[in-house]
Amino acid sequence: MVGLVVAAHGRLAEELVSTAEQIVGELPAVATCNIEPGTPVEDIRAKMKQAIARVDEGAGVIILADLFGGTPCKESLMMCQRMNVEVLAGVNLPMLLKANSLRSEELSLPEMANQLASHGQRNITCASALLREAQQPRT
Amino acid sequence: MITLVRVDNRLIHGQVVEAWLPFLKVSRVVVADDEAASSPLIRAAMALAVQSAIEVQILPLSQVDFAALSKDGVRTLVLLRDVASVPFAHAHGLAMDELNLGNVHFGTGRRQVSPSVFLAEAELTTLQQLADQGVRVAARAVPAEKPVDLPDLRERWAKAG
Repeated sequence: MVGLVVAAHGRLAEELVSTAEQIVGELPAVATCNIEPGTPVEDIRAKMKQAIARVDEGAGVIILADLFGGTPCKESLMMCQRMNVEVLAGVNLPMLLKANSLRSEELSLPEMANQLASHGQRNITCASALLREAQQPRT
Repeated sequence: MITLVRVDNRLIHGQVVEAWLPFLKVSRVVVADDEAASSPLIRAAMALAVQSAIEVQILPLSQVDFAALSKDGVRTLVLLRDVASVPFAHAHGLAMDELNLGNVHFGTGRRQVSPSVFLAEAELTTLQQLADQGVRVAARAVPAEKPVDLPDLRERWAKAG
């Protein structure tokens, strides 16, 4: 199974995983990496490596980082030079839920990462506009 | 055909859309609920939450043809708001092997029997009557959770008193 690491500033990663688990139940092979302000870079790297090692079962790891250009994302990108890791930035709840379910579909790691990026984007909608549209009587 | 009957006072929401629908692989969701059916806004918002490949019907309890839903070949999830609605549906032709208790929130006279289910004594009696008619009653918020069957729910209810 592909491992998942959610890496984000503050406690977002931990909360995102706990929220996802409220919705679909326990997530297997998922680790979190909270990056608190003022943490030395060496510590961040060690934390990231530990998180990856914890969930790597041989099929590779997808890291879901919060912000493109932020520390969790940048440090994750350092890892993907040497390991079987793909990095996604801009993590949201739909992406995390999809990441969990896509793992049963035997995709290659880059393909899975691509599909997740699209899924995350597709699930950002102006819900109120969709609702107005749905309520229009069909002519 | 009825794949699952679920009591959930939130009807269609995250757990249903993200966990149960992919797990059950149903092609139809029927919400049998007077309050939801009476509001065009609620109907539209709930229907929107479900991917378009799955048919969504939101109808007052008395207008659902439970017998027809049970007989055709379409895999169906039936959602009811509370335990009190179940006997009516069952008496009107809802074929039910299993009754899933998803979310039944705390209310006056209710005691907690699982993290997401609180039951009153009358509800427990209703559930026992269904079990006596051969329905498997179990509390289970999401598929990944271990179901808690009625005898255990009764025991927990007694202990919570």
